[in-house]
Amino acid sequence: MRIKQLLALIAVSSFLVMSSCEDEISKISSGDEPIKEIAGKWHVVQLSRNGEELSERMDMTNFSIEFKPDGTYSVAEQLPFMLQGSGNYRLNDPQYPFSLLMSAQDDGQELAVSMQYPVVKGERQLSLSFSLGCSGNTYQYNFERE
Amino acid sequence: MKKPIKTISYLYFLAALLLTICLVQCGLKSLTVTVPPQGEVGQRVTFTMHSGAEPRIEGSGTYTTQLLAGIMVPKGWNARENAVLTFTSPKGNGTLRLIPDSEIEPVSGLNWHQAAKKMFGIGPNLVDDFEWIIYRSTQSYTFANNEDIDFNVKVECDLGEENMLLRLGFYVGSAIENLRPQDTDYKKFAFSNIFEVTGGQGDLIDFVNPQLGTVQPVKTLDNDIITLNFNAGVANTALDNLDDVYLRVRAFDANDQLIAESSAPNEKTKLQGVGGKRFLIDIWPRGFFGLTADMQIARLEYFFTDQTGTKTVGYGNTDEPFRYTFRCD
Repeated sequence: MRIKQLLALIAVSSFLVMSSCEDEISKISSGDEPIKEIAGKWHVVQLSRNGEELSERMDMTNFSIEFKPDGTYSVAEQLPFMLQGSGNYRLNDPQYPFSLLMSAQDDGQELAVSMQYPVVKGERQLSLSFSLGCSGNTYQYNFERE
Repeated sequence: MKKPIKTISYLYFLAALLLTICLVQCGLKSLTVTVPPQGEVGQRVTFTMHSGAEPRIEGSGTYTTQLLAGIMVPKGWNARENAVLTFTSPKGNGTLRLIPDSEIEPVSGLNWHQAAKKMFGIGPNLVDDFEWIIYRSTQSYTFANNEDIDFNVKVECDLGEENMLLRLGFYVGSAIENLRPQDTDYKKFAFSNIFEVTGGQGDLIDFVNPQLGTVQPVKTLDNDIITLNFNAGVANTALDNLDDVYLRVRAFDANDQLIAESSAPNEKTKLQGVGGKRFLIDIWPRGFFGLTADMQIARLEYFFTDQTGTKTVGYGNTDEPFRYTFRCD
């Protein structure tokens, strides 16, 4: 009798475990990762060159870039960046982006900027890595929304 | 019941003691290097590392590993493409192969080359334009207790096209050990005496001697952010004992035409004091000079001045300007 009860208990438990797993799996597969929205005006809060921190030494007051919802960007005149002026942008993947693809207005060629979109102290940061001049020099800019 | 527990405790203590002794005594001999005093640009030069293994293994165990060896050379030498490392030892001779960038050194979480740069730095060099490159022997070797050997690692490498003074870096290690900061037994590194590359065109790049004025990074274009350093401690100059130092700079294009200049001592041209009589200023040349898209700076000439602009310091503490050329190669 006890064995029968035990077998029944195992069967019920297995069913519950299996069905709960299915629920989780279905949740994961049906729950979409939100689309990353970077539209807004972003200001540089941290800047490093070849790993050397320059934020404390440079006046970054006007180091900003604006991404507009219509897919265009505008770089502040004072911001050292790989592109100047304005142009178009898009993410390589709207849900899991690792590159920001930018093209200047007068040049259709897209440049890929390595990007991360971490949450720091509860706020999204936009972290871009690229070279400004020589490819041997790597810069990382961390932006916060204004 | 207490006696067996006590005995087991003693055994654990003894095992730990033996392990500690083994860890302390196993390892590599100190590293020395043979580096010629100079070479010609483009010449293929041989550097040799001398080290050895001192296996101290308790019991009948053995120690099997691969040899690691690394070099720190200027990026401009392109050593990843042309350097060849081989070794000779009583246990056999062999070659070493570049460790792929995709392979991560577990302690640092970086690839082996980056991990070595982080661990060993640039040694006594004062300016950083170096890369560490780490290689691993293609074969494994098994050591028995007290099987001491000496080995040599030969590095053949093309010198770059620039005149320079530098100290080279070298490393040997055991492949089954990681680059643990506290480990002194399985990683041995050394920096060479001053090595000079001669016969090239252009200015001498001096990595080792303190200089009045330097620019970092060493290789840039006018869209990079550059740091101009003034090291007032190197010599007595007209700017001795001044707290405020300014930059006077002129920009020339590829045709050697003056295209922009900044000569007024103001907040924009003021250097920051960073202690030890050292000052620096970070500038983004394209923004600093307000260049339009069609303008490009090929080189800079600059002086450091006082607030009035009357006292100036130039290259080698003369009236000649410091010069900096924008280039990547």
